[in-house]
Amino acid sequence: MRVRFTFTPHGRSLTVRSPDVLVQMAAMQAESRIGALWQQRMDALREYDVVRDGNVFGAGLAGSCVFSSEYDKARALLDQLLARYDGVAFDTLFSGREITNDSGSCIALESCHDLPATAVDTERLFQEMISDLTLVHGVGEVSERRLKARGYRTITDLAEHPKLRFAARQVLERLTRADPADVMDLIGTRHAKSHPFALGAAGSFESNDYVFLDIETLGLFSRPIILFGVGTIEQGHLMVRQYLLRDICEEAAALTATVEQFSGRRPALVTFNGKAFDLPYVKDRLAYYGIGALSRIPHFDVLHFSRRRWKGQFTSCRLSALESAVLGVARADDVPGQMVPEFYETYLRTQNCGPLVPIVDHNRQDVVSLALLFFYLLGETCGCR
Amino acid sequence: MAVGDVVRFFGTNPVYRRRVTCHQVLDPELARYGRLDEPLPEVLGAYLTQNGIRLYSHQCEAINALRSGKNVIITTPTASGKTLAFNIPVFAGLVADPDARALYMYPTKALSNDQYATIRTMETFTGIPAKPAIYDGDTPQSKRAAIREHARIVISNPHEIHQVLSWHAKWSPFFSHLKYVVIDEAHRYRGVFGSQIALLIRRLLRVARSYGSDPQFVLSTATLANPEEFAGRLVGRPFMLVDTDGSPHGIRHFVLYNPFFDGIGERSPHQETKDLLLSCVKGDLQTLCFTSSRKMAELVTIWTREDARRTSARLAQGISAYRAGYLPEERRTIERQLKSGEIRGVVSTNALELGIDLGSLDAVIIDGYPGTMMSTRQQAGRAGRKGGESLAVLVAQANPLDQYFMHHPDAFFSRSHEHAIIDTENPYIVSGHLLCAAAELPLREEADAGFFGESFTPLLVELAASSLIKKTPRGWVYAGRGRAADAVRLDGMAAGSFRIMCHGRLLETMDRAQAYREAHEGAIMLHQGETYVVNEMDLETHTVRVSETDVDYYTQPLKEVDLRVIETLETRTINGKKCAFGDVEVTEQYTAYKIKRGDTILGVEPLSLPSLTFRTKAFWLVLPDSSATAVSTAGLDLAGGLHGAEHALIALMPLHVMCDRWDIGGLSIPSYGENGEPTIFVYDGYEGGIGLAEKAFTLLPALFSSTHELVRDCPCQKGCPSCIYSPKCGNDNVPLDKEATVKILCDLCTDPGMHETRKCPAKPEPVAL
Repeated sequence: MRVRFTFTPHGRSLTVRSPDVLVQMAAMQAESRIGALWQQRMDALREYDVVRDGNVFGAGLAGSCVFSSEYDKARALLDQLLARYDGVAFDTLFSGREITNDSGSCIALESCHDLPATAVDTERLFQEMISDLTLVHGVGEVSERRLKARGYRTITDLAEHPKLRFAARQVLERLTRADPADVMDLIGTRHAKSHPFALGAAGSFESNDYVFLDIETLGLFSRPIILFGVGTIEQGHLMVRQYLLRDICEEAAALTATVEQFSGRRPALVTFNGKAFDLPYVKDRLAYYGIGALSRIPHFDVLHFSRRRWKGQFTSCRLSALESAVLGVARADDVPGQMVPEFYETYLRTQNCGPLVPIVDHNRQDVVSLALLFFYLLGETCGCR
Repeated sequence: MAVGDVVRFFGTNPVYRRRVTCHQVLDPELARYGRLDEPLPEVLGAYLTQNGIRLYSHQCEAINALRSGKNVIITTPTASGKTLAFNIPVFAGLVADPDARALYMYPTKALSNDQYATIRTMETFTGIPAKPAIYDGDTPQSKRAAIREHARIVISNPHEIHQVLSWHAKWSPFFSHLKYVVIDEAHRYRGVFGSQIALLIRRLLRVARSYGSDPQFVLSTATLANPEEFAGRLVGRPFMLVDTDGSPHGIRHFVLYNPFFDGIGERSPHQETKDLLLSCVKGDLQTLCFTSSRKMAELVTIWTREDARRTSARLAQGISAYRAGYLPEERRTIERQLKSGEIRGVVSTNALELGIDLGSLDAVIIDGYPGTMMSTRQQAGRAGRKGGESLAVLVAQANPLDQYFMHHPDAFFSRSHEHAIIDTENPYIVSGHLLCAAAELPLREEADAGFFGESFTPLLVELAASSLIKKTPRGWVYAGRGRAADAVRLDGMAAGSFRIMCHGRLLETMDRAQAYREAHEGAIMLHQGETYVVNEMDLETHTVRVSETDVDYYTQPLKEVDLRVIETLETRTINGKKCAFGDVEVTEQYTAYKIKRGDTILGVEPLSLPSLTFRTKAFWLVLPDSSATAVSTAGLDLAGGLHGAEHALIALMPLHVMCDRWDIGGLSIPSYGENGEPTIFVYDGYEGGIGLAEKAFTLLPALFSSTHELVRDCPCQKGCPSCIYSPKCGNDNVPLDKEATVKILCDLCTDPGMHETRKCPAKPEPVAL
């Protein structure tokens, strides 16, 4: 049995309160200290470093950093937004559609964007591919030169080669069948995964097979994804759907909605750095909520193709650098990617929607630039000449 | 000479003879073998046969229990073949289920490497594809994916597992088939660290459950007083105990050696250790000597070499130190030379009692009680080659525990007293793991309450109020900043917020309490055996700047303690004295520090630090008026008596509850509370409490009587470091009154209803040798 009695504190007197009141007070204090304690400790964790402008050395070393001018600009932007949108309701600011699924509901923001037409010349690509004898197992660059000198110009010719004919016929058969996933596998085993042929494999997809994905998160892994940008081609236009969390508890619903977009119906995923970031992140969150796994679909990571194409030509191969250099896109009032968590947390804390504005714009532009860049590269690889 | 000759020499040499307070001889034991309930897979049977292994009774017991699906804790001594006892059933399990996986958790890198090598050998021999791999902070990124996918035995450490759990999706093949979790050296996971590990294991089990697996546990530990309770608390499951050793051993001599036999101690006990080591080595015994510090290991080595040189240069060369800082090659050389017999004596710090691959020797000398009976047994267990005669010597220091054992050898040789404590209800520890758990999988009140104890729901509400977690239709999800696992540290109550910097280099981090105590301005602090002086403590940025120094003085902070009882949870009456256990709030204020060389005070400097307030658990006892009056009328100092009793109680706490005296704090007040009662408080030195005072509260009569015996039987006149002086006293051991202390302690042990003459048991006759 637990007996209860209270001492008065040593040296001081606390006479009037009944023991029960004291106990309750003590319990409350002890508890509120726990929350505050952890909050304090969490605040001490920094997710990025702010480095002096031009400190290329520091920028290169730290995994995640923001230049101080960028940081100051973003902080100023945050203040402006809070002032400008003070008291503005969510619905006024974002005219979205509320969607509901098994996991709950969230907001979907839709926008439509023009796309330049990209005509894909699959025949040209096919000719280029069958001229690459190294796609046949057992043929290296040296033997290719030798074989070509002896009159084996294409893999079709090689199909008659006394020793290589079996391997050649197999490759030929796979190229003719033109199953994009299979062609990508073939290219990937014989060349670097970022070889233009691998991108070319996408050429055999219909344009409405693609789904473009870009996510905004609250940090680097094991934290919620707060915005999912999903682009699809509908009637020749790029339709961007953004699933935005009004609160963290809507993440499961937004995840479910996003995954529905690229399960089965649209078999080709296109991302920028998605192999390392977006896709594993989405998988991680799916596992977190226990919402089932993703099926494997062909995944074109434009970062890898861009690196191969423009390496050394631009200061960086970040999407923002490429879009301005290649596509001529300029962004205003942008939020640096690393500061997205800070902006979103400010929204959560203040319930002022202002900080969401640049996040949504940033994400939408990322999806649009991603699609444009993808088609730009695709056109170079297998477009009509 | 053989062990027997050296032991006889100790008994006859006039210098040694007086200092040997007890000599215990254990008869040899023959091997006892066991039988397996079920035959092993053929390859494993062949493995045993071809290596000439016949399984001892305890190994069979463990194997049978594990194969029948029980969780098992094995507590047989060092070198009794515990590793084989769990490797066999795990391998058998890998054969039975080709998908099965096992997780081995080791506290140190060296032990992980040893186990890896053992498993590799077994794998090669048996052809059972265990595909073992070490997965820790040093595992290259390029190898990680393959290990997660293919390794069936993953060897890791708690810190890595703490990080890994949130990546469970990547580990899904592993978690889906997790059949066994092996926790070796599990006694390491006690106290604050153990409580953290207990919750880490709850998180591991929760993740495993979500992948449909429910692993079996094997724990291997040193001897504890409460193995089943300990295992049950660490893992949260019932355990079967295997503790009857079937391995053989020869005659074992254990000698208690007291340099302070006369209450004075002419020479330093370390010098005496040196003499003993030299005698053993001269007697041709290969000897391992354990010291309490790295520095002492070096000193004892140097002194022994110097003395040995007088006999022969060769003998001097056969003495070597062995410590953590050595490079792997250096260590390997020493190990090889030991095996070849070139090295006759090795001196090591007791930090190396684990993960030391020296095999067994003839004799072990322990320079000072290593703090726990468990460590003592582990260290002494190093003596004794296959069935041969062995010797272990404990050299006592001038502190209360060491001296208590010298005066009460029966207490030393009786079964283990120590209870390993794990507290899975400390809200500060639980809340941190709840944050981590919420980041791993959404927390569900109904489904997860079983893992996190009584405070689960209130803590969820509390964390939600601070927006650290959020309720969603799929459960509570983590909503704080950053990664939860980065904010929660396993090796302390809190992530150290004070950074100790030396010339821009981070030495270590400390929490506020430790920083105030050890790293205030002007403090001389030790870090990995090196001495530093604190130049500046910046309370704003939580930065302490230190620089290397080489001084012959040390510093000691003085503090004032204030204590308020928040709630009394339990009370009991022992021998007519009111004792209680409950929640208290402690305020500590460091006011000054002393600069000392030896016992000489060189100066006192004031400190201006904010006060520290924390809530914790305490037990306290109230002395009745009659006892207090008796002390005063005898012309003794009540305050000095209470203070002395407080020190002695704290000094002997580690005898009963496994902890360090630094983990506990105390306060004695001649007049506490409304009624002005003389009261002694003993509290856990950690925010929220970690179960030490709570356990001690249940053991109070034993604690009182052992404390009384300690002080009563100490041959000093007015109190000394062996009884009532405390090395950590914030009041610099003032006031103290030994006579009053004995009177108070005697009173605590005496039932007032008993007859006057039988009241105070007298000191027993000296133990005959």
